Amino acid sequence: MHVIIINGSPRVQKLSNTAKIIQSFGKGLQAAGASFELYSLSDRREWDAARDAFMGNEQIIFALPLYVECVPSIMLEFLESLPTERRQPALMSFILHGGFDEGHQFRLCERFLQSLPSQLGCTYGGCLIQGGSFMIRLRDDEKMKKAMDKKLDGYTEMGQSFAAHGSFMTPESRKFTGPEKNPWIVHLLFKLFIKRLVRNNFDYFAKQWGCTRPLDDKPYL
Amino acid sequence: MDKSFYEEGETQRTLMKTIVLNTLEGGAVSEQIGTLIKGDEVEVLNTSDKRIAHCMGCNMCWLKTPGVCAIKDDYEGIIKKLVGAENLWLVSDTRFGFVDWHGKLVMDRIVPMLNMYIEFRAGLERHELRYHPLNFGLLYKGEADQEFLEEWSRRVASNLAGKPLGVIKMGEGEPCM
Repeated sequence: MHVIIINGSPRVQKLSNTAKIIQSFGKGLQAAGASFELYSLSDRREWDAARDAFMGNEQIIFALPLYVECVPSIMLEFLESLPTERRQPALMSFILHGGFDEGHQFRLCERFLQSLPSQLGCTYGGCLIQGGSFMIRLRDDEKMKKAMDKKLDGYTEMGQSFAAHGSFMTPESRKFTGPEKNPWIVHLLFKLFIKRLVRNNFDYFAKQWGCTRPLDDKPYL
Repeated sequence: MDKSFYEEGETQRTLMKTIVLNTLEGGAVSEQIGTLIKGDEVEVLNTSDKRIAHCMGCNMCWLKTPGVCAIKDDYEGIIKKLVGAENLWLVSDTRFGFVDWHGKLVMDRIVPMLNMYIEFRAGLERHELRYHPLNFGLLYKGEADQEFLEEWSRRVASNLAGKPLGVIKMGEGEPCM
């Protein structure tokens, strides 16, 4: 099986969480005997080749971060530039991720992605969803690195699963998302304890980035 | 809704200011906008003649220069206007049943209106507001999934801690004769 993977994130490759997810996923594909080629929409020079690959192949995966409750505008622009009719049938699948960890945050975008393939002459191959990916970029911290490496290993397993089944229409893909909503006890713990911890973490990262203002600054007031 | 804001702001804010981002080519349908969107003070900005790039997800507006976007283009002026507004309407063409990329682009760039911190609002994990709640509505053109757009608008409004103002399909406009 040969898979075309298109990174729909606007962020430059080097810093892209989506790129790291694809890397881990691709490792799994290869371990299971499949091959893949990658195109990144953050680099305009790759758009023509990405379009050709989209039109000429049968297994296509778009990997994308959630942006304002749906697909990032740069990926929409690319999709709008694709021909709507094709000679060759194709399965179009998706890897959707984002910062928030609850499954329900992604369901509207998932609905959009479900409706998309038939509008481009393709068949829907499912959507692999997982949140909590914000920290992938901030793996310098030892503890964070461990958790994030474990997360990325999960994608490698899903790469193997995709190579075996040819789609994300599997029970393990559905399970991969985790809880749809955090239970009330998490909300309570968040209020009492986690919220401050998370804030401190963000403050710490901001300082490392050379930020000199409070994160809740109001520069235009 | 952020109660403290309204309590603080009540004395200064008597007028409800509305910003309309018209993303249609050449600022089309401005007449319909005037009829459909009512408010004390409505300002329509045509974005098709502005220079606005895609959000590139760099996180600078959350972690390095809080509230200030790293992309120096015409969107900074829009953010400044949103800081002084209560209502935001998006006017957009549609594609794939959803708003097209021009409409989505001006919404993706709204991130500096929120900050990095996280809270639960109405039981949902959300980013904190940098300024104040913004109500959100959508005027769209073409064939789209009305129910989907309504759900999207509700979610966008919820992210901005504001009320959904509605989703309205525009007429075809004047025939070209």
